Amino acid sequence: MDYDVLVVGSGIAGMESAIKLGDMGKKVLMVEREGSVGGRVILLSKVFPTLDCASCITTPRMAASIHHDNITPWTYTEVEAIRRNPDGTFKVKVQRKARYVDESACTGCQLCEPACTVAVPDEFNYDLIARRAAYIPFPQAVPKKAVIQREGTSPCTDTCPAGIKAHGYVSLTRSGKYEEAFQLILDATPLVGTLGRACYAPCEGECTRGDLEGTLPIRRIKRFVADRHYANYDGPNVTPDEPNGKAVAIVGSGPAGLTAAWQLARKGYRVKIFEADKEPGGFLRYALPTYRLPQEVVAQDIGNVTALGVEIAVNSPVQDLDALKLDGFDAVLLATGTPLSTSMGVPGEQLKGVLGGLDFLRDVRHGVTADMRGKKVVIVGGGNVAMDAARTARRLGAQETLVAYRRGREEMPAHKAEVDDAEAEGVKFQFLVAPVEVLGDASGKVTGLKCQRMELGQPDASGRRRPQPVKGSDFVIPCDVVVAAIGMSPDTAMFTRLLSLGEGRRIKVDPKTLQSEVSYIFAAGDVVTGPSDITQAVGHGRRAAHFIDRWLQDQPMDGFFALDDRLEVIDKAKVMARQKSFSHRDPVTLNLQHEKAPQDFHEIEPALTEEEALRGAGSCLDCGVCSECGQCVAVCPPDAIHLDAKPETFELEVGAVVLATGFQLFDAALKEDYGFGKYPNVITATQMDRQLAPTRPFNNILRPSDGRVPDRIAYVSCVGSRDKTVGNPLCSKICCMYTAKQNQLIMGALPLADVSVHYMDVRAAGKRYEEFYEQAKAMGANYIKGRVSKITELENGNLILRYEDIDNGGAITEAEYDLVVLAVGVQPNHEAEKLFPDETLHLDDFFFVNEQNDDLSPGETNLPGVFVAGAASGAKDIVDSILHAGSAVAQAASHLEKASAKKVSV
Amino acid sequence: MSRTTPRDVREVIREEPLMHRPILEAVAAGPMTVPQIAEAIGRPPREVLYWVMGMRRYGKLVTSADPDDDGYYTFTAVDGGVPS
Repeated sequence: MDYDVLVVGSGIAGMESAIKLGDMGKKVLMVEREGSVGGRVILLSKVFPTLDCASCITTPRMAASIHHDNITPWTYTEVEAIRRNPDGTFKVKVQRKARYVDESACTGCQLCEPACTVAVPDEFNYDLIARRAAYIPFPQAVPKKAVIQREGTSPCTDTCPAGIKAHGYVSLTRSGKYEEAFQLILDATPLVGTLGRACYAPCEGECTRGDLEGTLPIRRIKRFVADRHYANYDGPNVTPDEPNGKAVAIVGSGPAGLTAAWQLARKGYRVKIFEADKEPGGFLRYALPTYRLPQEVVAQDIGNVTALGVEIAVNSPVQDLDALKLDGFDAVLLATGTPLSTSMGVPGEQLKGVLGGLDFLRDVRHGVTADMRGKKVVIVGGGNVAMDAARTARRLGAQETLVAYRRGREEMPAHKAEVDDAEAEGVKFQFLVAPVEVLGDASGKVTGLKCQRMELGQPDASGRRRPQPVKGSDFVIPCDVVVAAIGMSPDTAMFTRLLSLGEGRRIKVDPKTLQSEVSYIFAAGDVVTGPSDITQAVGHGRRAAHFIDRWLQDQPMDGFFALDDRLEVIDKAKVMARQKSFSHRDPVTLNLQHEKAPQDFHEIEPALTEEEALRGAGSCLDCGVCSECGQCVAVCPPDAIHLDAKPETFELEVGAVVLATGFQLFDAALKEDYGFGKYPNVITATQMDRQLAPTRPFNNILRPSDGRVPDRIAYVSCVGSRDKTVGNPLCSKICCMYTAKQNQLIMGALPLADVSVHYMDVRAAGKRYEEFYEQAKAMGANYIKGRVSKITELENGNLILRYEDIDNGGAITEAEYDLVVLAVGVQPNHEAEKLFPDETLHLDDFFFVNEQNDDLSPGETNLPGVFVAGAASGAKDIVDSILHAGSAVAQAASHLEKASAKKVSV
Repeated sequence: MSRTTPRDVREVIREEPLMHRPILEAVAAGPMTVPQIAEAIGRPPREVLYWVMGMRRYGKLVTSADPDDDGYYTFTAVDGGVPS
């Protein structure tokens, strides 16, 4: 047996049960779903009828419940299931949710809270004010340990192949923390400016706001913060770790190689990049035209790498990997990409005027391409390189540029935006055609491309419909230049002495660690995966750097949390369900004005203005709640925050169960005639109690509509109780007394305020309750008998109550107030009944936990060994809850003794 | 006062970080009440109350000791400045 008793809930009844059982010598597991024990009582201002401070009477019990030798308090924990064992004990499945904070290290300093960039309604203040995603529930929280509210990985972040925390940099931008946003991206890759322009932004495709008016401009926000950074800093503004004495050679300086170099250099490695071309950057440098990615941006990003001391040797192709080892490099990373254009495999490819797609783009970058003015150019292929080649040809003055693709438009592998932009710039398309032969004249120059028409058959392995030739459909497209952009492949022949190659001459590696069969050689990027895109290459570079580091430091080959084993992506439906309504926000859209015949290579996409960046970032729905911006981690003095923490599930044996799951409050919005949720100055009594508490959300009692101190305050009693129209005919028992309590406290806080109570009748059944009620009236509370039928709002936010004035002849009367407080009733909490998957916990007619015999055996449920304490069995005030807990404790102790005696006798 | 249904509380509160700058810029000229800030930044007073109370809670604004004759407290930036 792990524990004698499981106590579910840590409100006043739960704490009382646990303490009393602990005092009896029973081992108790007390489970609380929130981050602190205390339940609702600790949130009250004062208690009736003594007007004792709620904190003063509750905090000693809170402290006692978590410091008791016999009590194990698990906060931020959910009981998932309670199952009965054959011997009458119970098997309990419990999940300790991840706080993402090391409780043993957290000092409760709360520095994480103001650093956090995500604001959410504070449920501990009944949504009157914001808290942060990093929070301590309330000032008297026990334990006073922070919680990071993570409900899942945000879809934008989850989908990024580079593991860039898109939600994080969006929330930082929204907070005006532009440099921090840049640094968060820089934590993943040095290519911030590049990705801000040339990434295909899968994040935007997953943005939940896209299901409303349109996605956030996530990629362009990245560019915004990059431009800001480069305008203010030379270099990355990052200090690497001290040199660790180890060296890594990286072959290739594309996105994978540069990212790996960046990551390793930051960890103190000496890194040297060997680049075969005359400039570093690989694909970024020679394959992406400058109208998409200006070369100065690539240079700025590469400058981040060299600023850390990374040496880049250009014109340095590597042929001998052994030699690198002999030169003192402890590990080698191959990141040579796919630099070879794939041949079309048709006659005539040797003719003058036939170019490979990559070769063409590279030559343009090197300034060696022939003049295309007035020429007809055919681009063969449907990928992004084909689009880049076509648009480049337009800029070089081609009279006509035609893309010939063997499938249809829908099947094109190029990103839609690229296709649309190419078309907008005058590129023409011919679909369902495949090259058969390049035709030339006697001088060997291209004169045309002979093609055949295709039709689409069944889908192939890629999921796209396979093109099939149409017999007898050959035709000729007259042209001067043919650019074959049908594919790319790696150049790996020189590595075959040491390494095995896989499909497409790609290097074979462990897919998780990217380590090859030669332990010191790793490979990353397109040379492993085949042609992909920048973000995937960046992700591969990060992965390689991580595992090179692990391998060189003799660490287990695991722990790559940037992309592996992340928190599950949050369900978008859950995000949308958090709000009752969404107001319309105009999305920040990109309306490019394309030139039909572009003449130069100037960058065509404008940067976001600061206003646009803020407006765009301000549309974020904070899907995962925590954005992973990392600001809390950065400011935490004891380094207690660990966003890679995981929930833990336990299966425990207990002898008995005490259910102290409390109650729920009536949703005042269901009484539509009272306008809660519609009129700001209609609030609930629980909200008023928070306004009256020492730890109140505001500095005084204020009207929510405008922050003014109210002069005339009305209470409406029995809202959601004694009301068959909302399905609750029961009296909630506590409302009359907390109304009288709040009346007195308000008149103390606002001596000039008028307080009225609209009631049906007052129930003051309890020790000194009647006197307490009379005291409220004596202080000036004006009790008006008669049900309120409707509340309406005036232009100034004041409220008109329409009611039947029973004490004055029953006339229908109207009165004007500044603030109306709804005395909401108590309803059953349906959580308890869900805890028993194999048994049925009986409920009473009103869905509270049923007591088999509440006259003679209070606290006993229909399930042997399961007891109920406090308001889970019906509305109770604090005193009754404590008394009831005492009964449940006695029942549980008796059950344990009987079980023990039975065991001994057996 | 707007008679339209208020925006969802979560949506309003989510915008708080975005509103720090305009609110701090508004109160840089001197202490302001919620309605005055609302007018200065062109947003509803109800929403401004959420934002200024969040800013007060996390140390960016302080309130005056007493309300003015109309029952409004004023708000001042803690450091008297605006964000960089």
